[in-house]
Amino acid sequence: MTDYRRLTGAFITALSLVLTSSYASAQQPDRGDEPGLIADDAYQLDPEWQKQVVYFRTTEAPGTIIVSTAERHLYLVQPGGRAIRYGIGVGRDGFQWQGLVTITNKKEWPDWTPPPEMIQRQPYLPRFMAGGPGNPLGARAMYLGTTVYRIHGTNRPDTIGTKVSSGCFRLVNNDVADLYDRVPVGTKVVIRQKPEL
Amino acid sequence: MRSFRGGLLIGLAVAVLVGVLAVIYEFYDTRTLKRTVRRGEVLCGVNKGLPGFSIPDDKGNWTGFDVDFCRAVAAAIFNDPGKAKFVPLDASERFRELQSRKVDILSRNSTWSMARELDYDLYFPAVAYYDGAGFMLPRSRNKETSLDLTGSKVCVQAGTTTALNVSDYFRANNMKYEEVKFDKLDDVVKAYDTGKCDTLSADVSQLYALRLNLSKPGDHMILPDMISKEPLAPVVRQRDDDWMMIVKWTLYAMINAEELGVSSENIDEALKSKKPEVMRLVGTEGNYGEQLGLTKDWVVRIIRSVGNYGEMYERNIGEKSKLKIPRGMNQLWNAGGVQYAPPMR
Repeated sequence: MTDYRRLTGAFITALSLVLTSSYASAQQPDRGDEPGLIADDAYQLDPEWQKQVVYFRTTEAPGTIIVSTAERHLYLVQPGGRAIRYGIGVGRDGFQWQGLVTITNKKEWPDWTPPPEMIQRQPYLPRFMAGGPGNPLGARAMYLGTTVYRIHGTNRPDTIGTKVSSGCFRLVNNDVADLYDRVPVGTKVVIRQKPEL
Repeated sequence: MRSFRGGLLIGLAVAVLVGVLAVIYEFYDTRTLKRTVRRGEVLCGVNKGLPGFSIPDDKGNWTGFDVDFCRAVAAAIFNDPGKAKFVPLDASERFRELQSRKVDILSRNSTWSMARELDYDLYFPAVAYYDGAGFMLPRSRNKETSLDLTGSKVCVQAGTTTALNVSDYFRANNMKYEEVKFDKLDDVVKAYDTGKCDTLSADVSQLYALRLNLSKPGDHMILPDMISKEPLAPVVRQRDDDWMMIVKWTLYAMINAEELGVSSENIDEALKSKKPEVMRLVGTEGNYGEQLGLTKDWVVRIIRSVGNYGEMYERNIGEKSKLKIPRGMNQLWNAGGVQYAPPMR
């Protein structure tokens, strides 16, 4: 019974989302993080953002994660001049950063507590949201150093390949789960930005 | 008096002779840059029809990576990419036609090799696209590297360098394979599409084009490894240095522009930049353009009309185009690839 109710609820929300999204995207394409309900498996990523093995030459050791903000790709370096490449969503202009960090923590279906600076910018955000399918952090989260930033999943697969976040890197849930199983705590993460003029 | 008139006549004759010689010299000047400027257009030898690289539509408008590079050269010289005129050339004739001055530049998916430079007295100024023989296979086979292909039936076109490369590669890695050969490329593709072989080998850029015509393109993938070196480059004649310099630095300027973050979208901002490297590129500092025989803003002209290297790549062959070739080796040297331009300083 509850299943049916949830399904109907999800359907109605999805429908209203579809109906309003054309208006919303025309009005304000830069939505940032907010709870939503689009399921990962119902969404087909463009080939550009699909997980794939690519040629990748680097001096970084296999197992290192390299994030290219400009390309919206995350590379997991493999031996033999290759990398597994994932499509990501990155920070909005002004919310991008670069540097070297390590993964300090890993969580499955993480709860979401938007940091105070995010609440200040987007007061409509919830103060706390329990982990689960509707949560913007999605299926997995990997904490980056001591920053408030994470590599995480998403409830909005359509935002992969765009600049929408507050500085986090998001993957579709299938991809983030795949990456999660491949990288331990302590993994080196290099974040590269587009050069400035 | 007689001697004065005589002297005048001799002087006149000498003057006329010098004039005529100067005209003849000017007319037969072998320097391509001069001839190109006088003609008012760049003659580009291109492929008759290769999707993504050079292909005309039904109205005769050319598009493609090789076509755009030639437009960049025209933009650098004339501030007008429309001043590039395209001359379709056959593979067998292309080098001879360049040699005989039918075209100013060959921008026609040609592999740079030592023999070609020596045999035809030609020069390949810089690599525009790193290609190489590779493998296409059904996604369902779930392979990540060509070293996993041992025991495969490999479809390949008979008599091509690819067939030789495949044979060398499997032998060198101690792997068994079965060659399934056809004379015509269409038959090779058909055999692969109907499952008569496990993998198809050709140059990687070609594999992406061939994939478009399979019954289910999405079910097939191209491995990231290349088993041979096929560096595709523009070609010019030897001993024509002003021209060679323009072609070479047009390509390098586009690669450097991408590395410095200068694109057709932010070129106006770039002109205001105070970063020395950017200033030298866009000509707000230094006079490299003038030293090439062009103007200070030659790179600005290129970027405005064709964009930087990455823009040219993505528009024609990249993942936003029909072909969807990942940057791979053609990514910049500091972003996972090997595209590396010498600095402009």
